[in-house]
Amino acid sequence: MKLEVTGLIKCYGKTRAADGLSLFVEAARVLVLIGPSGGGKSTLLRMLGGLEVPDEGSVVINGRRLGVDEQALQAYRRRNGFLFQQFNLFPHLTARRNIELPLEKVHGHPPAEATEMATQALARFSLLDHADKLPAQLSGGQQQRVGIARAVARKPEVLFLDEPTSALDPEMTAEVLELIQELAEAGQDIILSTHEMGFARAVADQVAFVAGGKIEEMGPPADLFGASRSPLCQRFLSRVMRY
Amino acid sequence: MHRRHLLANGIIAILLVVVFGGLCTTVFALLGAQTDWSKAWEYRETLWRGWLMTLGISIAALIGSIFCGLLFMLGQRSPWVVVRWTCRAFLEFVRDTPLLVHLLFGYFVIFAPLMARPLGEHGFDDKLIIGILLLSVFEGAYLGEILRGGVDSIPRTQWESARAVGFSRVQVYRYVIFPQALRRVLPAMAGLFVSLIKDSSLLNVIGVAEYFYNTKNFISRSYAGLEGYVPLAVGYLLLTLPVAWLAHWLETRFRHET
Repeated sequence: MKLEVTGLIKCYGKTRAADGLSLFVEAARVLVLIGPSGGGKSTLLRMLGGLEVPDEGSVVINGRRLGVDEQALQAYRRRNGFLFQQFNLFPHLTARRNIELPLEKVHGHPPAEATEMATQALARFSLLDHADKLPAQLSGGQQQRVGIARAVARKPEVLFLDEPTSALDPEMTAEVLELIQELAEAGQDIILSTHEMGFARAVADQVAFVAGGKIEEMGPPADLFGASRSPLCQRFLSRVMRY
Repeated sequence: MHRRHLLANGIIAILLVVVFGGLCTTVFALLGAQTDWSKAWEYRETLWRGWLMTLGISIAALIGSIFCGLLFMLGQRSPWVVVRWTCRAFLEFVRDTPLLVHLLFGYFVIFAPLMARPLGEHGFDDKLIIGILLLSVFEGAYLGEILRGGVDSIPRTQWESARAVGFSRVQVYRYVIFPQALRRVLPAMAGLFVSLIKDSSLLNVIGVAEYFYNTKNFISRSYAGLEGYVPLAVGYLLLTLPVAWLAHWLETRFRHET
């Protein structure tokens, strides 16, 4: 995946969640965003994912410029996958139905085909036993895995994950991270934000440190974690790696 | 403890039966001599026609109020400020004035001069149609608020997830928001529909020959008392109880953990 982000500005009231943010990635399979909470990771990810329109600046992914009108963004979102921290699933539908419904209504697959695709997606992440359960009957980790299954059921160009394990306990975190790593190894392009530094280091091709609405530093994980240049990044890493 | 509970329950039940029974006996004893059920039987046809009319009005206004309610709800979520404010002001006005005033004012001042003749010429009962319309708008204003509350109560992440999987604006409402919101507001909606059935009796002020209107005529013509009012109450119960039961059943049927 190739990414060119230039001069992004996004304000919520008086806070500048993105403050002239630029980011260039020549080629990366997995791009990981790290940084302090409130530093602009989520906002950046949401703008990259087409859920939020920047006030200024442009995003070009794989040579295609992201539109700003709702119709272009909707088409863009349909090509990609997006997962939030939690409550991704629709609580009134079973796990299987959660996957089938967008396939039928958004992508126009006939019901039988949608069912087949949903079965495959569930089987791929060994969730078939939970196919007919409602989200409330699943653990947090299982819910996130179903969420990911839904997001990748139709082979998205890019998968966006916004702190996918922040609401989970360590055991469930591990089960979700394993799955993400599997996807990355299978060749899925992924942009994700996380607080799991070990995971970022293991899975990322490029790591970007986001703080104060800007990219403070970017580089391959070995460089960034081993010898970061920016003092902000050094301080952040020394704090989160201490324990 | 268990025993004492049983005992207390028993005593309260007996007391209630005694009080209620006593009241009924007194009333019947006072009126007994004048109560003549054959009067009601004589007028059974008008009463039946009135009851059917009330049933018809209720069904029509129920559909009409759902339509109005959806419109008011969407109007309040409109991206245009003007539409939102107009909607808000109209709803506030409708909800804060009596239905009786809407009916009298709406029929005699606004609609009758405009529509009575054209409707009558085409063989329609203008009072009935205008009455249903006014009732639909009134109940729709309440329904709009109920629906808005339900839609607003769906967490932000649901809207976002729905957008993220690629649903269009209409699909977001259709497949994600409404199914969840309707479950939450079902009890309130059932209450409103019961109110609607009862409120339809107010249409008598513009001369619609519904159940209350016909019963009132029967009572004033035959000087009936109990034999007029008891069927009146029972007639409305026959309409409202099924709605209440149905709502209760749907509620248990669709209850899901969130």
